[in-house]
Amino acid sequence: MSHPIKGEHLYKKFKKQVVLDDVSLTLNEGEIYGLIGPSGAGKTTLVRILLGLEKADSGDVELFEQRPTLDAFRSLGYMAQSDALYNELTAYQNLEFFASIQGLHGNRKRQRIMEVAESVGLEKEMKKGVAQFSGGMRRRLSLAAALIHEPRLYLLDEPTVGLDPLIRRDIWTLFRFLRSKGATMIVTTHVMDEVAKCDRVGLLSDGHLIAEGAPKELTERYGVATVEDVFLVKEGAAK
Amino acid sequence: MSNLFAMARRIIRQILRDRRTLALLIMAPLLILTLVWFIFGAKTSEPNLAVINAQSSDFASAFPTSQYTRMSPLEAHQALADKKIDAYVDLSTPVNVHLEGSDPSRNGLAMNRIQKSMQKVQQINVTKMSNQLKSIIQTQQKAIQGQQQVMKKMMAALHLYAPGTLAQIQKQAPKQTRPAAMQTPEKVSLDLSYLHGNNSLNTFDAFGPAMVGIFVFLFIFMIGGVSFLRERTTGTLDRLMASPIKNYQIIWGYMIGFGLFVIVQSFILTCYLVYVLNIYNVGSLFDVLMIVFILSFSALSLSILLSTAAKNELQMFQFIPLVIVPQVFLSGLFPIDTLPKWVQVIGDLMPIHYSTEALRNIMIRGTGFAGWWLDGLVLVLFSVVFITINIIAIRRSRPLA
Repeated sequence: MSHPIKGEHLYKKFKKQVVLDDVSLTLNEGEIYGLIGPSGAGKTTLVRILLGLEKADSGDVELFEQRPTLDAFRSLGYMAQSDALYNELTAYQNLEFFASIQGLHGNRKRQRIMEVAESVGLEKEMKKGVAQFSGGMRRRLSLAAALIHEPRLYLLDEPTVGLDPLIRRDIWTLFRFLRSKGATMIVTTHVMDEVAKCDRVGLLSDGHLIAEGAPKELTERYGVATVEDVFLVKEGAAK
Repeated sequence: MSNLFAMARRIIRQILRDRRTLALLIMAPLLILTLVWFIFGAKTSEPNLAVINAQSSDFASAFPTSQYTRMSPLEAHQALADKKIDAYVDLSTPVNVHLEGSDPSRNGLAMNRIQKSMQKVQQINVTKMSNQLKSIIQTQQKAIQGQQQVMKKMMAALHLYAPGTLAQIQKQAPKQTRPAAMQTPEKVSLDLSYLHGNNSLNTFDAFGPAMVGIFVFLFIFMIGGVSFLRERTTGTLDRLMASPIKNYQIIWGYMIGFGLFVIVQSFILTCYLVYVLNIYNVGSLFDVLMIVFILSFSALSLSILLSTAAKNELQMFQFIPLVIVPQVFLSGLFPIDTLPKWVQVIGDLMPIHYSTEALRNIMIRGTGFAGWWLDGLVLVLFSVVFITINIIAIRRSRPLA
């Protein structure tokens, strides 16, 4: 089994605040890994370091079992916490641009744009300007932009924040579909009901990865009802 | 390559879909230039002047009533205080000028007019003096004639009574020479010739080249800077950084995308200046466009560079007083030869300084390529330096790859 992402002994601090303290994280191919934890726990920083958008103060990152290169980004879909869209453009033009810089062109590009638009349920809104989109629509378009080049690895930072439950369910169906096609995914969230849908979760608290494992295994190990309670147990123990 | 064009195409689409920005880019410079044209291209206004004590003076003819209102001293004093006149001339001896004084440009206008009148006063003085001389000469000539009559009579008497003495006197007398005929001096007049330009060149013609540079620089700076800043603040730059696009492709994509608008903008701006506002231009339109184009590249690359140091739009606009305003003053709009050395050095570091010099060479001096290639080269160097720093700076956003 190969490991699309491997981060070892990552340490990062901003000014005096330690954001990540010796975090090691390895993703197995074809799994959905949920990175959970309260806001400010360092989830986004961890994702950005794994992506290579930020440099860890110490520790190593490997993408597809080698040091990150520009080429590795071709197989990588990133969705940031902010929607990262061009407000002046239409939804179609946004996707067209992101498809182009991922190297898609011609018929293949047009086909992919329609496919991803459909998969996030925006196929009828493609001609609209993004400035007129609602928050949920923007979130979905942002996700579509991360899917456009059929990457093997997804890093999704809070992909479902601000979406209503129905759409959120559809999105998770989409995630499972992508996984079935062999994609690996790391999803950060602080919505606990999404945790159960992950294959494996990592609990990040104050820059430490305090627990890791399949959701069921975790609840059994700590003898609690939900993964959420693991935080309470762990933090109680710390005190 | 295709990444580059995808970037450029996206930027073009963004501007095209943002009508307001498009209008700002193209209409605003035209509007402001028209305004400047009215301000600096208008005829200089006439000074309001008055004279007092004109009746008793010989110089009154030098101060025609069409230009100088006749006033009593009291009226003139009051009018000056009320700013109804800029100055009044007191024609008692010696001649006095009283200026209102609060506005240097009006002072200059008034003094100009008065100085012209004073030249006439000098002429009047000269003719008066020559008239006096003439009358002196005439009376002396009469006296001489009288003496000659006496002499003749004396000679006749001598001839009669002492012919020997007369012959001796005539022998000793100096030979008479005829006095040279008086030559009237040639009338002196001034012939003006211009190496560049002509006498109809007004302030706007001289300002125009600087203005073009300032506007192109300002608008490209604002729009380019904010556009790249948004790339950072909205997170789209992160998305680009997590894609296979290369750093130089991002920067050059911006250059090409905006470059296209710059061509359109500078073409419209230049045509408007030359054909509508009829600015003095002896050079080719193509040369002008080249310089404007090169300048805007340095504006764009500088704005992208500074946007790195800004956290939001407000901070971006804070660079305008710092980067644009000094350039306006040191661009060559005003003479800087007399400023301290260090200020001149700062001026040498400003892109608009070079565009003004180049555009003046092209439009007013008509020196063609030989007149602008050096300034153009400096501007290209500016851009190359800024672009290189940009590409290095953007590498920091992608430390691993």
